[in-house]
Amino acid sequence: MSDPSHDNKTSGGTLKSPLFWIVFILVMGAVVSWLPLSIIAKRRFTTSDKPRIHIFQDMDQQPKYRPQAVNNLFADGRAMRQPVDGTVAFGDVQEDDHYYRGYAMTESEQQGKYQTSYFKGMPKQVTVDENFIRRGQQRYDIYCTPCHGADGFGQGTVHLRALELQQSTWVPPTSMHTDIVRDREEGHLFNTITHGIRNMPGYGKQIPVKDRWAIVAYIRALQLSQNAPVSDVPADVRPTLR
Amino acid sequence: MQQNDSSNESRFIFPAWANYLLPALALMGIGAATYLPAFVGLGFSAKTLNVGYAPEQPVPFSHAVHAGNLGIDCRYCHTSVEDAAFAAIPPTQTCMNCHEKVLPDSAKIQPVRESALTGKPIEWVKVHNLPDYVYFNHSAHVTRGVSCVSCHGRVDQMDTVTQVQPMSMSWCLDCHRKPETALRPADKVTDLTWQPPNGDQLKIGLELKEKLNIHSPAYMTSCSTCHR
Ligand code: HEC
Ligand code: HEC
Ligand code: HEC
Ligand code: HEC
Ligand code: HEC
Ligand code: HEC
Repeated sequence: MSDPSHDNKTSGGTLKSPLFWIVFILVMGAVVSWLPLSIIAKRRFTTSDKPRIHIFQDMDQQPKYRPQAVNNLFADGRAMRQPVDGTVAFGDVQEDDHYYRGYAMTESEQQGKYQTSYFKGMPKQVTVDENFIRRGQQRYDIYCTPCHGADGFGQGTVHLRALELQQSTWVPPTSMHTDIVRDREEGHLFNTITHGIRNMPGYGKQIPVKDRWAIVAYIRALQLSQNAPVSDVPADVRPTLR
Repeated sequence: MQQNDSSNESRFIFPAWANYLLPALALMGIGAATYLPAFVGLGFSAKTLNVGYAPEQPVPFSHAVHAGNLGIDCRYCHTSVEDAAFAAIPPTQTCMNCHEKVLPDSAKIQPVRESALTGKPIEWVKVHNLPDYVYFNHSAHVTRGVSCVSCHGRVDQMDTVTQVQPMSMSWCLDCHRKPETALRPADKVTDLTWQPPNGDQLKIGLELKEKLNIHSPAYMTSCSTCHR
């Protein structure tokens, strides 16, 4: 055993501690393995403006266009084509003046001169019942409250914010509870929603025809609610009125 | 002796460090056995890959300002969400409804104004994007009372829209097995702050599930519901 050739390096004897490189590999392995984990952690807890990684492509991207997708074949880049000007889709003929427009053009005495007359009352295609007015209320809350306010007095959030920002271009929305608006024909209100009026934008593109009439019905209910004679209020709650 | 020596030279003898090889390998084995599943499970999960995508948009449009502060209803802009599979991104004209008059000179609005003048659409970057082989339908969810917040999070607090749900198949199925965890009255779907009465979601959820006659879990999890 005292033979110098039988030292630690060549025999099967034991070492006091593992060799440096074994420890080194183990420690490095342990350290490096945290790298992917920390990348994962970063992806999990922060936002990124890079799209998701598709590990398996499968049929994720199919050669078809989804709604509102881009197609560079067309100059405007829209895959969804707009209808050609002056064409009418099947089943979309809008013949009834009252229902679709709210006004009629009639030739006046002078030849070639037209005058518009707005329809009074609701068109025969709709029946005004509670559901219809509730629908109108919901649609009014979506499309009109930002400017006209839930109560119709014209104090919507967008109006208030525009005043705060001192927008000189801003025109205050009309209150629904003025004689002007009260005296408007239903057809006039409908046309205001469809095409806007003076400084108000039109909502014809956003709101379908029937919903526009529902809003008109709701505006009438709203006006009534703010301008009802005291005699309409049930006697037992009358004292609570201010 | 002589013979012994020569054979000693040619015979292979394990070096002493080899004694440490076995424990070291065992250590690595245990490490790998815990590490690899964690790596694959975490790294390949939809929560890691899909959640947190917040692309930069061509216009710094903020939902926190419009839907949050100004309180504009989601449907004012995403008009088709109740009637169609697709939740339409608003056309430029919808922005101009207000921005014709509000902040018309702001530099941030410039691309919107340009688009209104030229008719060229603003190229918004799609945030949520299911693979093309999945059939998804907004109106089926929104009209039954599944709120935007269940799937898109608090959009009304986001300056940049960020994906907060994994939108993986297992995520869809979790809810399809137990829709009562998400159902609310249909007129409250766009009210992202809505809380169930008394905080009891399951009670109102089960009531609505009964009332609306929601499909059975068997139908809701059948492959052809979403892959058609
Ligand atoms: C972007 C803000 C805005 C929104 C949203 C809006 N309006 Fe207006 N509205 C206005 C402004 C501004 C005026 C006043 C226009 C003027 O006097 O130049 C107005 C005026 C009106 C008038 C009075 C028109 C008259 O006869 O003189 C009616 C009625 C009306 N709006 C109805 C509606 C209805 C219904 C909706 C919802 C579908 C709606 N508005 C949504 C801004 C808005
Ligand atoms: C003033 C108009 C407006 C209103 C109100 C609005 N949005 Fe949006 N929304 C947009 C526009 C524009 C985009 C596209 C740009 C973007 O992603 O930021 C968008 C994008 C989104 C997206 C991401 C779509 C995608 O690409 O995957 C979601 C989700 C969304 N909106 C949800 C909502 C919800 C929920 C509400 C109601 C709390 C809401 N929005 C209200 C205009 C609006
Ligand atoms: C109903 C009215 C309304 C509509 C619709 C609307 N906005 Fe706004 N927007 C506002 C108001 C009011 C502000 C100012 C808010 C504030 O500063 O608090 C604003 C602010 C902004 C700003 C910040 C401008 C700045 O200089 O700080 C951007 C950008 C913007 N809107 C983009 C859009 C886009 C894009 C759309 C269409 C998807 C849109 N807005 C639709 C009312 C509207
Ligand atoms: C059941 C979950 C769910 C609900 C509820 C939901 N969404 Fe989505 N939304 C999705 C998914 C999934 C996508 C991605 C669709 C795709 O890529 O085909 C998406 C996409 C969108 C988009 C981008 C356009 C599109 O259709 O791809 C908008 C905008 C959007 N949602 C708005 C809304 C609004 C607003 C509401 C509430 C009225 C809502 N979502 C409710 C799951 C949901
Ligand atoms: C938070 C709950 C929830 C989540 C998340 C959800 N769903 Fe739904 N889903 C519903 C409910 C509730 C219905 C309505 C079922 C009914 O009408 O009986 C539904 C209906 C559907 C329908 C229509 C079924 C039919 O034939 O009437 C499809 C398709 C669908 N979901 C696909 C998906 C996909 C794809 C995802 C994932 C991207 C998803 N859903 C995520 C709750 C959810
Ligand atoms: C509730 C809706 C829903 C139902 C039900 C459903 N799937 Fe899926 N499936 C999805 C969605 C969403 C994805 C996309 C997941 C993603 O993007 O990571 C998907 C993806 C897949 C994939 C591709 C997975 C991949 O990552 O490559 C397969 C395969 C699949 N589904 C098979 C099935 C089968 C088989 C069934 C019936 C047992 C089924 N699905 C039922 C929504 C559904």
